[in-house]
Amino acid sequence: MSTLAPERAPRSEQPAPRRSASRPALVERVRDVFTSPKSGPVLVTAILFVAVFAVGGVRYPAFLSGQVFLNLFVDNAYLIVLAVGMTFVILTGGIDLSVGAVVALSGMIAASLLQSGWSPGVVIPLILVITSVLGLLVGLMIHVFEVQPFIATLAAMFLARGLCYVISQNSISITEPTFVALAVTRIPLGGGLSITPSVVIVLVVIAVAVWVLHFTRFGRTVYAIGGGEHSGMLMGLPVARTKVIVYVISGFCSGLAGVLFTFYTLSGYPLSAIGTELDAIAAVVIGGTLLTGGFGFVLGSVLGVLVLGIIQTIITFEGTLSSWWTRIFIGGLLLVFIILQKVLTSRRR
Amino acid sequence: MKTLVARAFSSRLFWPVAMLVVLVVINVIAFPGFLSITVKDGHLFGSIIDILRNGAPMLIIAIGMTLVIATRGIDLSVGAVCAISGAVACSIILGSSDPGSITTVATAVAVAVVIALVLGLWNGFLVSVIGIQPIIATLVLMTAGRGIAMLITEGQILTVNSPPFKAIGSGFALGVPIAVLIAAVIFAVAALLTRRTALGMLIEAVGINPEASRQAGVRARGLLFAVYTFCALCAAIAGLILTANQTAADANNTGLFIELDAILAVVIGGTSLAGGRYSLVGTLVGALVIQTLVTTVYTVGISPIVTMVFKAAVVTAVCLLQSPATTAAIGRWRRRLAPRVAVEVAS
Amino acid sequence: MKKRSIGLAAAGVLLLALTGCAAGGDAGGTGEGPKPLDELVVGFSQVGAESGWRTANTTDIQGAFEDAGIELKFSDAQQKQENQIKAIRSYIQQQVDVIAFSPVVESGWDAVLNEAKAAGIPVVLTDRAVDSADDSLYVSFLGSDFVEEGKKAGEWVVEEYADADDVKIVQLEGTTGAAPAIDRAEGFADVIGADDKFEIVASQTGDFTRAGGKQVTEALLKSNPDIDLIYAHNDDMGLGAIEAIEAAGLTPGEDIKIVTVDAVKDGMQALADGKINFIVECSPLLGEQLVEIVTQINDGETPEKRIVTEETTFTQEQAVEALPDRQY
Repeated sequence: MSTLAPERAPRSEQPAPRRSASRPALVERVRDVFTSPKSGPVLVTAILFVAVFAVGGVRYPAFLSGQVFLNLFVDNAYLIVLAVGMTFVILTGGIDLSVGAVVALSGMIAASLLQSGWSPGVVIPLILVITSVLGLLVGLMIHVFEVQPFIATLAAMFLARGLCYVISQNSISITEPTFVALAVTRIPLGGGLSITPSVVIVLVVIAVAVWVLHFTRFGRTVYAIGGGEHSGMLMGLPVARTKVIVYVISGFCSGLAGVLFTFYTLSGYPLSAIGTELDAIAAVVIGGTLLTGGFGFVLGSVLGVLVLGIIQTIITFEGTLSSWWTRIFIGGLLLVFIILQKVLTSRRR
Repeated sequence: MKTLVARAFSSRLFWPVAMLVVLVVINVIAFPGFLSITVKDGHLFGSIIDILRNGAPMLIIAIGMTLVIATRGIDLSVGAVCAISGAVACSIILGSSDPGSITTVATAVAVAVVIALVLGLWNGFLVSVIGIQPIIATLVLMTAGRGIAMLITEGQILTVNSPPFKAIGSGFALGVPIAVLIAAVIFAVAALLTRRTALGMLIEAVGINPEASRQAGVRARGLLFAVYTFCALCAAIAGLILTANQTAADANNTGLFIELDAILAVVIGGTSLAGGRYSLVGTLVGALVIQTLVTTVYTVGISPIVTMVFKAAVVTAVCLLQSPATTAAIGRWRRRLAPRVAVEVAS
Repeated sequence: MKKRSIGLAAAGVLLLALTGCAAGGDAGGTGEGPKPLDELVVGFSQVGAESGWRTANTTDIQGAFEDAGIELKFSDAQQKQENQIKAIRSYIQQQVDVIAFSPVVESGWDAVLNEAKAAGIPVVLTDRAVDSADDSLYVSFLGSDFVEEGKKAGEWVVEEYADADDVKIVQLEGTTGAAPAIDRAEGFADVIGADDKFEIVASQTGDFTRAGGKQVTEALLKSNPDIDLIYAHNDDMGLGAIEAIEAAGLTPGEDIKIVTVDAVKDGMQALADGKINFIVECSPLLGEQLVEIVTQINDGETPEKRIVTEETTFTQEQAVEALPDRQY
């Protein structure tokens, strides 16, 4: 054993039986799952979510109902789709700050076109195409011109927000019957519970995202880029193409989220979704994805959105927090989550 | 002469400076008196002075942000720290028996600065000791911090009537705005501290390769504490200037979105968000570009509706022009011209 | 191991502390007869705390309900419509007796208001309106008329400059896309648009803040030397403009006249000092009127559909008289 470098050999890769035989193997296995950088954070987030839900249920009588849980999906459908798209981008080590503005832009395009008499069957695909093309331009800017993702997407954010104002300063209501029907319909699930069609769309998006990330070569390339672009290239993976495509995916998801947001609010408003990109990023990070890329799960990001949603629900049920205490409370809870996540998944060096 | 031109072209600062020149030209066309500087009431007066004075807070924050970004971090909480320091200072001045005295103002400033230092240490603690990613660690303070500022002012705008305090934001010394002097001092301090000592090199080392620098013995933890604390200090001073400029603490709006402007200034100036080499002069140029951009909108009379699109265009232009691909393309274009010249010289 | 336990313990304490606030509320039922006031639960979703005006509005409403003994569940939407929709849905879930809210934007409330209607919970709008075609979705709308405020400002300008030949006006707009900004601009333009001698030489946004007002005025004073009047959509921007005018060596209120909207204390002080010439009031004190509406609903009566806040205007002399009584 060299005396020059007093570092301890990494213990994480040692097989469990090498440790003291007095510790039961089950505890070891549980701890390994917790401290694994892949699944640890997601697990901790899930447990914390359940804990917060339980605390809420104890404090407020009407809290422990299935509808409160389903409302998390109904109310945050657009944010879940945004978080899914953001996960792809962050997994490659990038970031997308334009998502909020693109959501607003989708709403404005939808509202103004529907007002002019276009049919939803044309408007919705058109929005998805426009936002995907915007994502493509951003991806090219990042890859070909080597502009930092932060700045490229910031410029896209300014552009999208600016276009919102250009389309209309005022908010525009949507009264087109098919659109309205899609928005206000509730799908009964029995027992007084109901969801909206948006929730169904969200579940489909989650399923597709999970399949793409874990069962296709594209998904493997995405993880590889985050782990180290050069090793990915050396392995022969189509790194360049993938890097651009993740931004197209993010653009597509922002457009889809925009459509869901428009179902939610039945209007286009140029000032909507300000700051939503930070919510999406927070959700992804709470869900266990590392901003440096390479580690993370789509389901983790979904959980992150649910966590943010439940925090807000608790604040509304509490009803006594002033505006400033609300912010302090949100910041504080976020801090608790992050510290717990870090502490519970830390590996002994 | 040729090498000078070649060096200018290949400098990372070329395009930001070029963009600055273009914006100034646009302003002059719209308003011929743009470049004029006169002396009024014993101090300098003119559009350029306004740009420098209005841009001073953002520049100060951008200087702090440059060092944080150099360590591969980011600080989103600067706006909230601005609001807190303004709120604290105004509360103290309002609560004192003699708001106009210099001692009161000095106390208020000192307390605000100390609180900011604590907040900076807090950010440093989260990032270096607990190891939380900087964007999230500072996001916590960004959210909670504005709540704390609003708590101090109870959501109201606290107006103070204190000439010494007002001077910080809109006063003049030696004919130059005090805010600009403060910015110059901070710039000088940062430049001297980091470039004349090994500090700058250590900061860059941590940003370029944290693992390698750890093994080389660089005490990353202390450095991270230092940069986040310095950034918070910068935010506090900027917040005091912003608050003094309107002689009122507005916890909701002071410093709102200033972190975006500061980060933009740093990046336009050539520092990479991935950490490593940084340029304080670059940040200065970046801050001037952004502030001139804002002023151009007013001078030219660009409708508020189109302002954002205009900003997007300028930022995109600067980034595209700065990129290595463009530099390479220009290099190829110049090399195609060069052989003819070489032949002429040879013959 | 030690670090982990300490971390866990600290986080646990923090979590408990955060949730250890005052006792949570009781769910109200759907009313059959008038309920005693102290059993009523009202859910209120406020736009945010983006200005002193808004905070005064919140404080007034919270105070009025506390005086009346009615429980008020308050939520701050941080100026986002989606947060307000979530809050309202949550109030429906909690089965409150009345829902009141200030919509951050006019459109897009049909879905959630229909849910409230289906759940039998009456809805009251405060400060701003919704643009639903179906006005059975809300019981009453209590608030100012921003277009009217713009008109009052315009009318004073027309009167003040009745003998002038041409008047150059600079408009300091509120946040782009916000209803008060759009409406106050519209009302003003309607009134002065009738006469060609009024010219709006520049109109930029100061974002309803002092800093914004100051920066814009500074720049416009340099590029437009002959400004006669500044019309600011709120007092704060006007106060910022005053500083810019003084820094340029001119006298606000005389060399350049100023008209603003809101009538917050600082604005009224400036008016009394002669630096502002005219203020149109926009009162945030809706608390008492809101409590009245809630008790009317509880008693089974139908409140009036549209209740306009009692507001007035102030000249410099009137400001000096009214200043001591200003609450906000």
